[in-house]
Amino acid sequence: MPPMTLLQTIAMGLIQIVAVLIVVFIMVPLLTFAERKVIGYAQVRLGATRTAGGRKGFTASLNRGMWAMGKVPVLSFFRGLPVFVADAVKLITKEDIIPAKADRAVFTLAPILSVVAAFGVFSAIAYYPGVMFYMPKSWPLIGGLPFNGAIADVNVGLLFILGLASVGVYGIVLGAWASNSKYPLLGGLRSAAQIVSYEVPLTLSLLPAVILAGTLNFKDMSVILSTGQGMSPLAVIPLFIGFFIYTTCGFAETNRVPFDLPEAETELVAGFHTEYSGMKFGFFYLAEYANMIVVSCLATAFFFGGYYLLPFGLQRIIPASVPFLGHPSFLFFMAKVSLLLFVFIWVRATLPRYRYDQLMDVGWKYLIPLSLVNLFIAAVIRYAF
Amino acid sequence: MRLLKTLIPGDIAAGLMLTGKYFGKVFFSANRKKVRAHLKHFTQEYPEIPVRLAPRFRGRLTLLKDEQGEIKCVCCLACEKICPTQVITIEKGKMEGRKMPYPVRYDFEMERCIFCEFCVESCGFDSIILNHQFELAAYNREDFSLGMEGLGQNMFAPSPVGKYSVAED
Ligand code: SF4
Ligand code: SF4
Repeated sequence: MPPMTLLQTIAMGLIQIVAVLIVVFIMVPLLTFAERKVIGYAQVRLGATRTAGGRKGFTASLNRGMWAMGKVPVLSFFRGLPVFVADAVKLITKEDIIPAKADRAVFTLAPILSVVAAFGVFSAIAYYPGVMFYMPKSWPLIGGLPFNGAIADVNVGLLFILGLASVGVYGIVLGAWASNSKYPLLGGLRSAAQIVSYEVPLTLSLLPAVILAGTLNFKDMSVILSTGQGMSPLAVIPLFIGFFIYTTCGFAETNRVPFDLPEAETELVAGFHTEYSGMKFGFFYLAEYANMIVVSCLATAFFFGGYYLLPFGLQRIIPASVPFLGHPSFLFFMAKVSLLLFVFIWVRATLPRYRYDQLMDVGWKYLIPLSLVNLFIAAVIRYAF
Repeated sequence: MRLLKTLIPGDIAAGLMLTGKYFGKVFFSANRKKVRAHLKHFTQEYPEIPVRLAPRFRGRLTLLKDEQGEIKCVCCLACEKICPTQVITIEKGKMEGRKMPYPVRYDFEMERCIFCEFCVESCGFDSIILNHQFELAAYNREDFSLGMEGLGQNMFAPSPVGKYSVAED
């Protein structure tokens, strides 16, 4: 194949960016809907089954029709789905209030920073090792070009991702500061302390994966860690422990229950986004859910088997000659990401919020020593076996 | 031992198991059967299917009749006296062939009733109950004045559904 011209590179890049953005923008509303439903089911109720509207309205008619037919399985799970359209319309059309004494520039910058950091990470994530498919030959300019599994195959992908992800906290802290109000400020301070503490075990929990894989490239790491090539079978242990440490820290990084102290509504009204409304609040909201997806993607890729069927480097049990199950697949990746997102919501439906000192205890006294021990185990396994 | 307990968060796992169990139960039963008894969740899909109320639910006041179709009330006025908001007005009367007094008028102004059920408890003749009707909203104040006569505001009807009820259609 001849090397791509600059124009072709830009065109392919744009196509990939748009494709990823579309997937994310579909996943985020679905996630909010799934959140209502899963929490509802876990609490022995049905969750959203209808959207606001008169009894002559769309969802009401839908409901009546379903009951008239007897319930239709599958379709009936999605009765509350129009809620997310209503959510989006509400966020977009709502009045955008900026408090009079707020720092206008920073106040506007903060949600943008949050959302850019969250979405920027998606550029370095590989959704499939290598080329996903080729563009049809007949298309002008981009005909026959490969559609890669990642937008940018960065050599130090992991560093890029961790760096960009920690920029997200600036959005929260700056937004909290610029609001010029007590509660957001307290929420922002908490968030800063929390994310600074949890960044340490988060990174430490990823180090065993780096040691075992011997590379920082996202795609290579994922493939090596899940197929277990060149790794001792004992490598399952540090990966298994690392997975739990990483997901726990992921909950803290994304400000999710049980670590959602920055927005603890019993103490802080709504935390850092108390003064935000309209689409600015929507950006924070979007960033939180995008961050959830990012954390799930990373946990999937490094610990949960990436594009292969079995997690924790157990894929070597299935030889590559087995059709479908033995090969990497985009579907496996998406299924695992969805599973982890479900776990996020499941945990939210189960656990209450930690107290602030408990949160710090968990971070410093428990997760950091554990991840150091895990790092040691990984190093021993790497060099002794 | 303590260390092991700290390292393996068994309580969190137990909590997750519990919510997971409920999630599974509701997820697999939510859409399968129309029969309420088979459903594992507590959501009542109210306008589409009738609500199931507790037997002791306190709805609108209703006058009862006995097997011969005669009004059971004997005008002892106990209910009128005990009613904290004084919404019951009874007028005593006589009827041929009946030893007990007979209410000529039994007015009930629902707009001020607080559904406390004191009237029912005070009645020694079991001649009134609070039925299971709860869709009581109306557009006119007159619709809340119930009496022994009239169609929409009849005190005897066992459980007439409210005039503007959703369950009507
Ligand atoms: S329920 Fe209470 S308020 Fe209503 S009529 Fe009876 S005693 Fe009066
Ligand atoms: S207490 Fe019973 S019997 Fe006496 S007046 Fe009231 S309804 Fe009639």
